[in-house]
Amino acid sequence: MSGKSWDGAKPAALQAAGVRVGYGEHAVLDGLEFDITPGTVTAVIGPNGSGKSTLLKTLTRLLRPATGAVFLNGAAITSLPTAAVARQLAVLPQGPTAPGGLTVGELVEQGRYPHAGPLRMLRMQDHEAIRTALGLTDMTAYAARPLDGLSGGERQRAWIALALAQDTPMLLLDEPTTFLDIGHQLEVLDLIRRLNRERGLTIVLVLHDLNQAARYAERLVALDRGRIVADGAPRDVLTTVLLAEVFGVRAHILADPESGSPLCLPYAFVGRD
Amino acid sequence: MIARTAAAGRPVAVTPLSHSAGAQRFPALLAGIGALVVALSALHIGLGTVRIAPGDVAAALLERAADPVHRQIVWELRLPRTLIALVAGAMLGLAGALLQTITRNPLASPALTGVSAGGVLAVVAWLSFAPVGLAMGWVLQLMALAGGLVAITLVYAVSWQGGSDPTRLALSGILVGAICSAITLLILVLDTQRLGSVLRWIIGSVNGRVWVHWTILWPWALVALPLGLLSAGAANALGLGDATATGLGQHPERARATLLFVAALLTAGAVAVVGAIGFIGLIGPHLARRLVGDDARRAFPLSAVVAAAILVAADVVAQALTLEFPFGDATRRAGLPVGALTALLGAPFFLYLMLREER
Repeated sequence: MSGKSWDGAKPAALQAAGVRVGYGEHAVLDGLEFDITPGTVTAVIGPNGSGKSTLLKTLTRLLRPATGAVFLNGAAITSLPTAAVARQLAVLPQGPTAPGGLTVGELVEQGRYPHAGPLRMLRMQDHEAIRTALGLTDMTAYAARPLDGLSGGERQRAWIALALAQDTPMLLLDEPTTFLDIGHQLEVLDLIRRLNRERGLTIVLVLHDLNQAARYAERLVALDRGRIVADGAPRDVLTTVLLAEVFGVRAHILADPESGSPLCLPYAFVGRD
Repeated sequence: MIARTAAAGRPVAVTPLSHSAGAQRFPALLAGIGALVVALSALHIGLGTVRIAPGDVAAALLERAADPVHRQIVWELRLPRTLIALVAGAMLGLAGALLQTITRNPLASPALTGVSAGGVLAVVAWLSFAPVGLAMGWVLQLMALAGGLVAITLVYAVSWQGGSDPTRLALSGILVGAICSAITLLILVLDTQRLGSVLRWIIGSVNGRVWVHWTILWPWALVALPLGLLSAGAANALGLGDATATGLGQHPERARATLLFVAALLTAGAVAVVGAIGFIGLIGPHLARRLVGDDARRAFPLSAVVAAAILVAADVVAQALTLEFPFGDATRRAGLPVGALTALLGAPFFLYLMLREER
């Protein structure tokens, strides 16, 4: 499940060292130490306002840390040319928007932006990457359809296809299942797992649903008030203690009959200190 | 076609992408509207104080005019006027398309960025305060250019808060534009004698535009139009929002500043020669997007062509409605200033757009 990377590119490793993000006294992230092993699926969990999105934005250079640095393959990400970073990692921000008249094909084509030649003309390899991205997300038949005529699930798949067209060894997604019904949530998560298993993509995603995180990721990183409070395999992270301390809920932890991963069943809100 | 994916190592049948309806229509539309532009231009050249039939226009253009006066009118007066209307229309249309992408707002237009108003203010101030000998045509055009560029710099500076933002840019554009217009009116109130010579700039008109003006317009257009068209790829990425654009390897802040500057170049160049013709830069891009979709690589060139067609068509109507008009130092018979007509037709269209957006 690890090791090989898409199209034989060198596996990318992402590392946060002493990262502090925030303004003045108020730090959204503080003293963060964190690294991503190539070929793995990592889910970032935590309550609202714990800094999950901020972490993802910092890892993808959308935010510049006040102190500390993020390293991509050993080089400080903010010192690398942004197009070079875009050839190593693709990011799907939360709730992205595009002009409604844009078609799926035209959106996905933008994924070739960091690879484009001088006149931004598409070359053979660009067309191939676009077709592959559409095929993987099952959006080939939708290529000529405008975005504003799609359902929520289809639109999210189109945005994932855009990120895939970047043809990067790493993919970071910020709450890719928000606003989707349960069927479309699993569809997106299955696709993400498939990208990891079949293409060796390194994936980091922010997820709200703890059980989905435990089921689809091999590593959970729990954030609370800008600090990592637990980091490891789902069974080690998803404990009654963590749920009480971080989320303020009492819960039963069961074993998922399907996958054996931990399954939490919250039954009471107790509040947090 | 068959492509081999490296990771899977097995051949995969790949069906070619089907083109969107907009992409399929694009070549035919470009050719069709291009032909329309040629036909409108022939009509346009024929209209004025002396009316010349399209056949005689063609004959005069081909140096086979039966009447030497026709040849002179067509070559000396009408051809430059038509060329200026076409190029200025294209510049305003492309500027509008760029601004709508930058502000991510379909209601943005050159008039809403302060560039037009800034250019007009500079011209009016120059006419009122500069020494009389320096109020010649080309000096005024340079003033209009300078005024427009100063205005856009102000807009950018006013909206800057550690970064630029599409909505703030649109709002500060309206603000700077309103202030420039207010100062323009104040100068006019204090100096009513200039009203006649200033009116053309405020309303916008191609009347009396001849080769002198063309020599100012074409080099500017030759630089700004290709710059605008070449920025379509960057505009597409920027249109996906700053986070996605950054993820794709763009510097959204840099891209936005560059595109804004190109839009200001296009607007200032057009306003310097034809004055603040309104609504062309709003309607042109909007119609173009309706026809070929939101991909800037098609919407940008089509916006330019559609806006050029609209401006020439509007001026054909304006010239047909010849009026006694106070122009320059004396009253003379002239076509209606085209800016009055575009404002008259443009305002209801703007309202229609707003109502559509609300839906």
